[in-house]
Parts: sequence; C-alpha cells; structure tokens
Amino acid sequence: MYIIDMSCISAQDTYNNAIFEEGVKVQTEAQYWAVEPKYKKMIPLNLLRRMSKSVRMGVGTGIPLIDQFKDSLDGIIIGSANGSIKKSVSFLNQIVEYNEGTLTPTDFIQSTSNSIAGTLALMGKITGYNNTHVNNGIAFESAILDALLLFEEKSAKRLLLGGVEEISQANYNVDSLRGMFKDVVVDSTQLLDSNTPGSVSGEGAALFVVDAEPSEAAVAQIIDVAQIVHPTSAEVLAKAKLFLERNKLTTDDIDALFLGYNGNSETDHYYNELQENLFPTQAVYVYKNLVADYYTVSSFAVWLAANLFLGKKMPSEVIKKAPTKPTERILIYNHYEGTQHGFILMSRP
Amino acid sequence: MTRVLITGIGVISAIGKNTAENRIQLQKGQTGIGKATLIDSRYVDVFPFGEVPYSTESLMEMAGIAGEKGITRTDILATVALQEALASAGMSPEEISAMDTAFISASTVGGMSMTDELYRDGNKIGLPSDYLSSYICGAHTLKLANRYQMKGLSTTFNTACSSSTNSIMFGAKLIKSGRAKRAIVGGSDGLAKFTINGFNALRILSPKPCMPFDKDRSGLTLGEGAAFLILESEELVGNKKVYGEVTGYGNTNDAFHPSSISDDAIGIIGSISKAIETAQLQPSQIDYINAHGTGTENNDISEMFGLNNVFGAIPPYQSTKSYTGHTLAAAGGIEAVFGLLAMENSELYPSLNCINPIEGYDASPISAYQSAYEIKHLLSNSFGFGGNCSSLILSKA
Repeated sequence: MYIIDMSCISAQDTYNNAIFEEGVKVQTEAQYWAVEPKYKKMIPLNLLRRMSKSVRMGVGTGIPLIDQFKDSLDGIIIGSANGSIKKSVSFLNQIVEYNEGTLTPTDFIQSTSNSIAGTLALMGKITGYNNTHVNNGIAFESAILDALLLFEEKSAKRLLLGGVEEISQANYNVDSLRGMFKDVVVDSTQLLDSNTPGSVSGEGAALFVVDAEPSEAAVAQIIDVAQIVHPTSAEVLAKAKLFLERNKLTTDDIDALFLGYNGNSETDHYYNELQENLFPTQAVYVYKNLVADYYTVSSFAVWLAANLFLGKKMPSEVIKKAPTKPTERILIYNHYEGTQHGFILMSRP
Repeated sequence: MTRVLITGIGVISAIGKNTAENRIQLQKGQTGIGKATLIDSRYVDVFPFGEVPYSTESLMEMAGIAGEKGITRTDILATVALQEALASAGMSPEEISAMDTAFISASTVGGMSMTDELYRDGNKIGLPSDYLSSYICGAHTLKLANRYQMKGLSTTFNTACSSSTNSIMFGAKLIKSGRAKRAIVGGSDGLAKFTINGFNALRILSPKPCMPFDKDRSGLTLGEGAAFLILESEELVGNKKVYGEVTGYGNTNDAFHPSSISDDAIGIIGSISKAIETAQLQPSQIDYINAHGTGTENNDISEMFGLNNVFGAIPPYQSTKSYTGHTLAAAGGIEAVFGLLAMENSELYPSLNCINPIEGYDASPISAYQSAYEIKHLLSNSFGFGGNCSSLILSKA
C-alpha cells in the first residue's frame, strides 16, 4: 500500500515539519511530552473541551487529512494500546474517591481506545470500515495488517491509518513501578548510550492516508508487516529473513534500518544482533531519542522513513550510521520490552 | 478462496462455565441474571447483573492455575473459555504454537476490572500490587499467548461492544488471505466497578433484568464472560467435527454520536448488508438472527429499524443478553457460540422478558423454545460506542 499524505504530532516539531529545518529539540525529562498544535481552528471548542489527549491528538492529525480526502476514505484503522488512559484513570479515581457516587459519563465514554477512530468517523462522517487494535507494542503493526487485508480483498481503496498514544500520570506510575523507566534520567542526547536499565516515556500521533494502488501522489510504499512474540534473538533473525523471503527480497535489498533503540541496556541487544548479523553494511537510523518509547511509536518511525523517501534531510541525531548509497528500501524493526517485536517493510514508491 | 470452518467452541457466562451448561439454560429459558454476590459494588443492591457464579480463585482452580499471581477476572474468564475451545477442536500443542495459527482476542475493560488495585498502583499508594502488567486491554492476550506458547499473528481489538465480532471477522480474513491456517478468536470482559459506574453514569442500567425489544424496556443489564472459537482452513479439517462456517462479515461506523446509534441506523444497515453481501446471500436466506438487543431505548429501536429495512419480513430473532446480560467485548463471541448451538441442534431459544414487543413492526422476538427448526444461515449483530457496528454470517458447513 502507498502513503499519499500524513500528519504527525510528537515531542518534536513534526506537525508543521519544522523539525527538518529547525532541528531536534533536546528532551530533559523522563516524559517526552507531545508538542500540540493550536486545535481551536480545527475543533469546535465544546468538543475540544471534552476530548482526551489521545482523541485530541488523533483528531489534530486526522482532521486535516479527512478534510482533504473525506469523499474518498473507505475507512479508519487506529492502533492505540492505551487509548484515553488518562480519562480512564480519572473516571476510576472518581469511582473510588466518591465511593461509586453519581459521576458524569464523559470520561467513561472517552475512555475506550476506539474513541479515537470513532471521533474521526463522526467528525468526517466516514461510515465505512472502522477498527481499533490495542495489542500493546504491536498495535500499530496490527493496524497496518488490517489495512493490507482490506486492500488485498479489494474492500477498500483508500484508508486513514494511524497510531496514537498518550502519557498519563497513572500509567507512568504503574509502568515505573514495574521498572520500565530509568532511575536516573539522562537527557535525550545521552539516552541511547546511557547503558542503564529502563527507558523514557513518550506519546504522539502519526496518521497516514494510504492507497491500495500506486499513483503520482504516493510518497512511500508500505510493502508488508510482520510480528513475533516472546522470541529469542535467533528467532528474531529467522523471522526477519523469512519476512524478506516472503516478499521475495534478501538482506542485500535493504538499504537502511530504522531501529527502536531506547537506551534500555537490558533489551537493546536485539537491535545490535539484527544489525550486526544480517545488515552489517546498511545505514542505520534511530528515533526514540526524539520521541521516547510508547506502544505505537513505530508509527513515528514510518512517518520519519516516509519523509526520508520524500527527500527531507534527516536530522543528524537520527543517523546512527550514514548511508553510502541511495535508499530504496527500509526495514523498520521495533520491539516493546523485548516481548512483542514488529517489522515494517517500506520502499520508495 | 478457502472456506473458514469452525472446529472448536468454548464459552463461560452467567448461564454456565462451558458450552453444555450454557445450552441447557438456553433450552430451558433460564436466565443467569440476578443479584450479584461476588463483585464488590454498592450497585449490587440497585441493579441485577449477569455475574458468572464462581469466584476468580475457584475459576483459577478449575483452569489449573491456582495460586498464579496477577490474574484478573478478564484473564481467568478468557482462560476457561480458551481451554474449552482448544479441547473441543482437539488442537495439539504443536498446532497451538504453529506460526500459522493466529490468536485474536478482544476486551474493553481488560485488567481495569481490578479497580481498587489500579487506583492504588496508579496513585502510588502502598506497595505495588501483583497486577502491574495486567491492567491494559491487551494484557490478557499476551499472557495467554505466553502460557500456550502461541507464536503466530496476534492482535487484540477494542471497539467497545462489537470487539469480539471483529476478532472472528479478522481471524476469518487472515485464513482467507493465506496469512494463517488456523485462528483462535474471541474475547473476554470481567464484571467491573469501572463499567458498572460508567453505564450507571450514562443512566442506561436497568433496575430490572433487561427486556430486549420490549416497548417498556428500561436499559441494559451488565454481564461478564468470555468465548473463543477455533477457525480452520477447510483443507486442515479432515473428518473433525465442524460447528459451522464463517461465510460473511461486515464492519461499519454509524458516524452519528459517541454513545448512541442514529435513528436511521446507517451503521447497522451497513454492517448487516455488507455481511450478507460477503456471504453472497439474499436477506431471505437468513433463518435466524442473534440480535445485539441490549435492552436500551436507543439500541433496540434502531436495531428494529435496521432489521426491518434490510429484511422486510424479519426472520426469527432474539437477544440472548436476556440470559447473560451485556458481556461487552465478549458478547460477539458468546453470541456466535449460542448461534452455532442453535444451528447444530436445529433449535431456537426463547428471548426472555419481552412482554409487549416494540410497536410499529410486524415482528416479535422468539417467545418459546422450538426444536426441529433448521438453520442454514444465521446473522449475529454487535454494535458499540464510538459508532462501531459489526455483523457476522455463520452458515451450516
């Protein structure tokens, strides 16, 4: 399938593509907060007030795309593991603190992950296919697979596809209790070389208009997607090879890797092993030193890779190993906590 | 394109901890809705519920995982239903772990059923609980994949009350596309303070057991449960017992309101029509409808409008939520299993609590048990918040 347009809210100035001119913002906190646009022009105030952050970011990235393509969009597919987790926990806090008293339903309605795709459908009057994947660290990869299936079976020609995640204090607390984050925070320039356990927490939204067929408008192709759960390093390598074979490619056909290094000394070895064993000469790009880690962060990697194909100059911070030849094909490899691993294969259109 | 056959089913709900128990209650017209005794909520004295009448601990014992840490209500219900489904299909450990076996589940509340634990962990009160990795919707899927060493494609849906219908649809599509040979599909939701208070805040919980399609209905009854189906590509099935075939599916969005369905039922008509079209059938070939039928003012009138629009003469229909309550993400899976039981045994189960059917339509839900009723094709509907509408066609194989 082919990306013909896209929009991204992240901890960097991605919404207006300023990142490619003005450079990368250094992050100093343990949470890399999204830089949100002024929504007031896009979203009626009464709606905006009620929206959770993930719905707001989904709508902020989605509405400009919907405005342009709504007459031709056959559906919406979103990956969002946590959905509006902040609204969920705020509702839950009220249940406990008011001892199940009379509560307002707004937070409850907004709490489920499907409120992002639902709100986009509602605002754009898009009555076609609508689905939400919440499968933790491969929720966005699953959403891509969903889109590929719809295109293969010819039930859609054009879809809105994306990944959205928000940080909430409660969730940050829960995840920090289970050791997800660094005890001593280093700034984003040091993150990937920190050599300590844990990572940092991020959020964002990246949405894409994708077509089944190639056209002049295509900026990048997503060829295929794969996933594996609870693998050994050897199984990751085998999966990568199988994935390329399935697409009639070899490791030599890949020009660049986008790897999900997050500075966690306990799980970054998967990336090293894949790179050293299968792709020793290829260019390597990284992205979590820009936006931290979150369940659907591979949607940011796809956005960055598509921009590379578009000819945007990659910031020096994302280049771990510079390319020596033009980039025709990119393999994105990302895992979450070392448990769920996803591959996304992209190509110049 | 290969046919997708159903070779295993497993279910747990307020009317039983396995398929056989559920069928007996359906035949008898015996509801599982009543006063909840296990969930800790002040609303047990105000509203009836479709509670599974076993404690989490006793279900864990039943499932052979007594004493394991971090198991939520959603986890254990899923485990019990999954075990039955795997056994009924006679799936070997090698088949379960095969790269071409997909595992697709669904949940809305996930581990947030542990309201008080999440409150303490989320606010860093006291020592961390055992549930830190259990809260998120997809947690039950990951845990089961780990327990059964499932290595194939996996995802979890949360499209509110249509979630597990999407699991079944997605599993069938993975098999048809050749990306999987088998798919374990379903969903699970435990009864939770979170959802009880949510639906209460929306003022759509019924003080009486829900009355789907009655003109005086007063809201939904929350339930809990889980169901899984085993789907297999036709060429793998051999002489295995086959419960039915997944022949059609439709997924649309009503694009009308965050928590209600439009009067003109755009999404409902769309998902039903798309499902019938995928199955290459005519509406007149549908012999039985397991409706969404929540018992809310809004759902039932819109669903009747949609059914009337698609079918004209509506085939025998009912809502089994009058037995189980609304089991949210599990509903689509549970109701698919009930539909398969009706089809396999050529029987229709009565829809309960509909005394005065919704006016304006020449139709009323199935009122009494009926045997020797042949079902070749059935429709199962699931609609949710966020405008999500999904429909399935299951057929005699």
